[in-house]
Amino acid sequence: MPEQSHEPEGAIAGTGMGGGMDLATSEAATLEKTPGGPQGTGPAAKPRSLWSDAWLDLRRNPVFVVSALVILFLLVISVRPSLITSGNPLQCELARSQEGARAGHPFGFDGQGCDVYTRTVYGARASVTVGVCATLGVALLGSVLGGLAGFFGGAWDAILSRTTDVFFAIPVVLGGLVLLSVVTSNTVWPVVGFMVLLGWPQISRIARGSVITVKQNDYVQAARALGASNSRILLRHIAPNAVAPVIVVATIALGTYIALEATLSYLGVGLKPPSVSWGIDISAASPYIRNAPHALLWPSGALAVTVLAFIMLGDAVRDALDPKLR
Amino acid sequence: MLLEVRDLHVEFRTRDGIAKAVNGVSYAVDAGETLAVLGESGSGKSVTAQAVMGILDSPPGRITGGEVLFQGRDLLTLREDERRRIRGARMAMIFQDALSALNPVLTVGAQLGEMFVVHRGMSAKDARARAVELMDRVRIPAAAQRVRDYPHQFSGGMRQRIMIAMALALEPALIIADEPTTALDVTVQAQVMDLLAELQREYRMGLILITHDLGVVADVADRIAVMYAGRIVESAPVHDIYKAPAHPYTRGLLDSIPRLDQKGRQLYAIKGLPPNLMAIPPGCAFNPRCPMAQDVCRTDVPPLYEVAGDHGGERVSACHFWRECLRDRS
Repeated sequence: MPEQSHEPEGAIAGTGMGGGMDLATSEAATLEKTPGGPQGTGPAAKPRSLWSDAWLDLRRNPVFVVSALVILFLLVISVRPSLITSGNPLQCELARSQEGARAGHPFGFDGQGCDVYTRTVYGARASVTVGVCATLGVALLGSVLGGLAGFFGGAWDAILSRTTDVFFAIPVVLGGLVLLSVVTSNTVWPVVGFMVLLGWPQISRIARGSVITVKQNDYVQAARALGASNSRILLRHIAPNAVAPVIVVATIALGTYIALEATLSYLGVGLKPPSVSWGIDISAASPYIRNAPHALLWPSGALAVTVLAFIMLGDAVRDALDPKLR
Repeated sequence: MLLEVRDLHVEFRTRDGIAKAVNGVSYAVDAGETLAVLGESGSGKSVTAQAVMGILDSPPGRITGGEVLFQGRDLLTLREDERRRIRGARMAMIFQDALSALNPVLTVGAQLGEMFVVHRGMSAKDARARAVELMDRVRIPAAAQRVRDYPHQFSGGMRQRIMIAMALALEPALIIADEPTTALDVTVQAQVMDLLAELQREYRMGLILITHDLGVVADVADRIAVMYAGRIVESAPVHDIYKAPAHPYTRGLLDSIPRLDQKGRQLYAIKGLPPNLMAIPPGCAFNPRCPMAQDVCRTDVPPLYEVAGDHGGERVSACHFWRECLRDRS
């Protein structure tokens, strides 16, 4: 079949010449007046998709540049803390308990005589790991479940919507105290799992709503009319158009997950010593706040800056992807 | 017959009740023939087309009766995956607004190529080459470069050409064009319509042209089916209808076209509003707006009367008084 179809095409080009040429040229003429038109010369004529448009927007946004640099720095030091500190966060000398800043130890020492600078640097790893893993898990689970519910509707949608309502009713901190207090493993995974468990309904609602909106577009019906299967429509036509709100909410949520990890660790149900985490350090330093405020301020400051950076990044991404929300 | 729709019924179940969008529509299209389906918004012309294509939103839409015979097979009895293989390959659809019917995040080349990937299993590279050929075929200048552009970078006319190219990609036997020129400039309308008509002749496709623009119809259609409140009220060869309509509704439509010799006089408009599909008037659905309505129109649903046409070909009218209607005109 495909081979045969070359012939009629040649025939068309031939017969169509008379009537066709002037059509084409007259429309080409109107085209040239359009700014940024395809025939235009220079770099402005380069095709721009939603994503490349958003990227151009982001690069010009100082909020994005600053928060992205902070986050990049955090990512680097959580992968290789030894780049900026030579100390060991678990090597402490009780004799130096609560001592202030001095050469080689710019942030001073905490109650156990550990170097606050080293511990703050190493603490980034727990926060970033929990934040990134929880966000990935939440985004994946939430958008798959929410997206399917929005696309197929019906009973599946009703069940999912009621389930999300149930999860929204669970108070996060109380749920964490109850669920995580029975966990003995001292890794980040129970904490991540807990956040995914409680966090996915938020994303699934966003994804569901977004898919329902996109589903009503003509191009989805057009794709169906031209024979695309459900999976193809969902993955190729709906998902790229529906993913923007999910990315925005997930980026902002990342900051809150980092804060939540610190909260749970502070309460003693998140990470526990000998793990290193800002939440643990804040908890340990709070009894000595009058004698050694530096031991509290540095990890709290790091936590605040990190959370702020992710929330600002989320804001910048939202502005770039959906200018109407600005 | 290429496509034969028989006594099709479609209804929408909504919160407020059941809207009967299509109430026993029958029409037929042969290869190489153009059938224009005419009617106001809400007359059921698009819903009928969606039911034929199998892209009705269901729920809430539901086909409650009838047959859609395409190349001898009843599409309504086929499984969904069988219907999907027919869609796009053997019957295709052109949408009204190409800007919203093309995916904004994919290049036009990717979307044109998708036809070959989905139905022919081609590689992305081969599909792109075919996409360029298609764009050439619908006379888009510099197709080889423009294949990488996104839909918003094209003018309205060019976008509609791309829609046409997509529908034609696999040389289907039937094309349904749902108001293909409504969203275009008047000057571009004619170009796009000519292109569509030319390609249709080339491939001997059946074409169902859904429109409310009588001007477009006169030039390209072979037959006209006029729809009102989900029914066909008149169906006839195009010249017969323009010469002497056999239904008061058709006559109302023709009289509401602005004409040069009417300059200075008020333009005719059909009185009243289209009927509420949840409460279609008893008898003839058009009776509350009809200047010729009698008592019988308010009680008896008119059957499709055979009308003798001048040019041969089947001609029917769903008016109790079609004779009077014909006589009034001539």
